[in-house]
This record gives sequence, C-alpha cells and structure tokens, in this order.
Amino acid sequence: MPVKLAQSSFRDRTQEFQSVAERLRKSFSSGPGQNGPSSSTSRAEEQRSVVAHQSEFNRRASKIGFGIHQTSQKLSKLAKLAKRTSVFDDPTMEIQELTAVIKQDITALNSAVVDLQLFCNSRNEGGVSSDTSSHSTTVVDDLKNRLMSTTKEFKDVLTMRTENLKVHENRRQLFSSNATKDSPNPFARQRPLAVKSAAGAANNLPKWANGSASSSQLFPRKQTDGESQPLLQHQQQQQQQMVPLQDSYIQSRAEALQNVESTIHELGTIFNQLATLVSQQGELAIRIDENMDDTLANVEGAQGALLKYLNSISSN
Amino acid sequence: MKITALLVLKCMPEGADPIILANACDVSHFGFFQRSSVREFIVFVSRTVGKRTPPGQRQSVQHDEYKVHSYNRNGLCVIGFMDDHYPVRSAFSLLNQVIDEYQKNFGESWRTAQADSTEPWPYLDNALTKYQDPAEADKLLKIQRELDETKIILHQTIDSVLARGEKLDSLVEKSSDLSAASQMFYSQAKKTNQCCSIL
Repeated sequence: MPVKLAQSSFRDRTQEFQSVAERLRKSFSSGPGQNGPSSSTSRAEEQRSVVAHQSEFNRRASKIGFGIHQTSQKLSKLAKLAKRTSVFDDPTMEIQELTAVIKQDITALNSAVVDLQLFCNSRNEGGVSSDTSSHSTTVVDDLKNRLMSTTKEFKDVLTMRTENLKVHENRRQLFSSNATKDSPNPFARQRPLAVKSAAGAANNLPKWANGSASSSQLFPRKQTDGESQPLLQHQQQQQQQMVPLQDSYIQSRAEALQNVESTIHELGTIFNQLATLVSQQGELAIRIDENMDDTLANVEGAQGALLKYLNSISSN
Repeated sequence: MKITALLVLKCMPEGADPIILANACDVSHFGFFQRSSVREFIVFVSRTVGKRTPPGQRQSVQHDEYKVHSYNRNGLCVIGFMDDHYPVRSAFSLLNQVIDEYQKNFGESWRTAQADSTEPWPYLDNALTKYQDPAEADKLLKIQRELDETKIILHQTIDSVLARGEKLDSLVEKSSDLSAASQMFYSQAKKTNQCCSIL
C-alpha cells in the first residue's frame, strides 16, 4: 500500500474540497438565513472574497519566492562562470546572455513585489483581522529583503567580472606590447659599423658626428669635410668636437651656478625690502601706542572730573 | 625622466671592445618577451660607445629615443642610458658620482680585469632607482628648485606684510580720532565742573 502511494503522483483534490465547502456553506446559510439572507450571503461572500484574497495573496507570494530562488540559482551559476574566466577562452557570450536574463528576472520580480504590496494594502483597507494584515505585510517585507540581497549579489558578481577583465587586459598588454624601438634597429644599424675596418672609420665618423652634434650644435661644417680627409685630421676633428661638448657641459654648469647666484641676490633684495616695510610699520605701531596712551590719560582725567562733579552735586 | 641603464666599462687602449665591469638595467617598462633582447642591445651599444669615447672626454649620443651619455676617465668609462627629458648636466654629474664611487670601492683592481664581470654591484642598482629624479643627482638643480620655492614664499610674505601695513594705517587713524574725542570729553567734564555749581 505505501509503495503504491509512492508510485502514484499526488492528486490535486483541492477542487473537490472547495465544492464540499461551498455546499456546506450554502447549507449553513440557507438554514438560519431566513432573517437576513442577503446580509449572510453578503457576509459569506465577504468571507469567501477574504479567503479568495488570502489564497490569491499566498499564490502570488509563493510565485515570487520561487522566482527569487530561481534567480539566485542563476546568479550562482553566473558567479562561477565569472570566476572561471581566463585570458584566452573567455565565455563572454554566455556571461552576457546570463546577465541579461538575470536582469530581466530581477526587474520582473521587483514589479511583482510592488504589485503584491499594493494588492495587500488595498486588501487591508477592507477591514480584516490585524493578524492577517500583519502577516501579509511581513511576507511582503521578507520578499523585498530577499530580492534586495539578490540584487546586491548580482552587483558584486558584475564588479568581480569587470575587475577580472581589467587584470586580464593588463597581463595581455605586458606580454604583447610591440617591440618598436629595440631589436631590429640597432643590429641593422650597428652591424655595418662593427664589420667595417679602420679604413672605413671615415664613414663611421660622420654618424658619430651626427650623434654628438645633436647635443652640441657647434661645428656643423666639420661633418661635410670629414669624408675626404685622412685619419689624423679625423682625430683632430673628433677632438675638436669632443672639446666643445666638454665645454658645453662645463658651460652649462657655469650657467646654472650663475642662475643660482642671481637668485640668491634677488632673495637678498627681497629680504631687504621686507625689513624696510616692517620697520616702517613698527613706527606706525608706536604712534598708535602713543595715541592710546593719550586717550587713556584723557579719559581718566575726565572720569576724575565727573566724579568730583558728582560729589559736589550730591552733597548740596 | 627615466634612467634605463647604468654601466661601468674598462676601455682597452685601441680597437678591442671594452670589458663590462658593472651593469644595472631597469627594463620593467618593456613587455616581458623583449626584456632579454633589450638587455643585449644595451650591452652592445654601451660597448660601441665606450670604444669610441676617448679618455678624459664626455660624450652624448642620441639613439632612437635614448640619449646615451658616456664619460671616460683614464680608461674607466661609465655610461648611462637616459631618455630625452633627463637634463644632460644632471646625467653627467651622476656619471661623475658613479665613477668616483667605483674607484673608491674597487681601487685599481679593474685594470687587470680581462672578462666581463657579471656580479651585481648594489650601489649601481641603488643609484639607478634613486636618481630617476634628476634633482637627486644634481645638487645645483636641487638648490635652484629650493631657491625658487623660497622666492615664492617671500613674495607671499611681502603681500601679507603690505596688508598688515594697511590695517595699521587704519588703526592709527582710529586711535588719533579716539584720542581727540577723549580730549574733548575731558575738557567738557572740566567745564561742567567749573561753571555750574548750583543748578
């Protein structure tokens, strides 16, 4: 017997129960209902509508709760996917689809909860027992809290995903930045220089002259006749080009020293002016002090005179 | 304002390639796979520049976007790879410091070196990180910067002193008015005392 029960799926006998209840109610209302059939029927209807409301409320609340549960399951799947992303095989499409679906679900659930709350409020104005109303408000609040926590988790998952993406971008940049400057150029340029013999130093020199002339703009004409002259003069020119570079370094140091000296001199001037201003203002301060002393003396004398006057007035 | 590498080389008298005595590179801003080739490139260019710098001379060569500064002092050559914005003077003062430090630490032992030395010299690495800011290397630059700041502060001081002077002016006027008023007050009080005794 118990086995059979387990095998058979449940039978929804709610309809039968409801019809039985209807019949019973009708029999009750038809019995003592002679004096006020309308009122009792209306009361019965009211009760029925209350019951209907309650079951309607429960149905909707349970639907919303189920929806929230499903959404949180989808969210956990999304979180797993987002954590799993690596640099190369990124399940972007799935993640985006799942994100869109979850967002839709959350908005729908939100509106459903708001509807439920309105419904519950409208029903509460019908004057039902306080227990039912408090129960329904508690249910609505609970659903709202759950929805809020789900939304927060959703936001966390999205932030985690953006951070992961950023980290991957950085790593990708580190590995695949293009070699613009280094590898091909120096070997392409320098190897011909290294291979050439001493006789070919004539060609090398203008390149170095180009290099050093860029930092010292003196003696450009030496480059043009560097080609056709023997090695000794090359060396001399090299020396001459080195010396102006050395000079330019020394000159720049001298220039910097002179700048520093002039700045210090200006600072000295400024300090002198400051001292003059302050001494002048000191004189002003002394004048103010004297004026205040005079005022004090005058006021004290006036006070004494007034006191004498008071004495003379009051004694008469 | 970046130093990419500092090297110390021993320059052979003629022809032969210089021998590297110390090497400090900072290649962190290149991609991971270019770093070794960049190091090779730095070593190669420094050898070439060292060979071409005559003793007792300073030299700066522009190469792509690097300036390579070299200073040869009696066969000991020190080379720095800096970018274009690093001031030349600071670069050479830094090279001076490095070469002095090297001679202090290693004396004349470098003259007998025959092969590239690969052991790191911590002072060079420290110098590389410390002197990324040219003001550290060049005392003149630091002094100039501080003097400019002082000048600005002094200008502000003078402005505030002038404002103080204006306030003192107004105070002087008010105090002189006050003293005149108090004098009038005193004279009035004396007059009332003398004239009317019986009202």
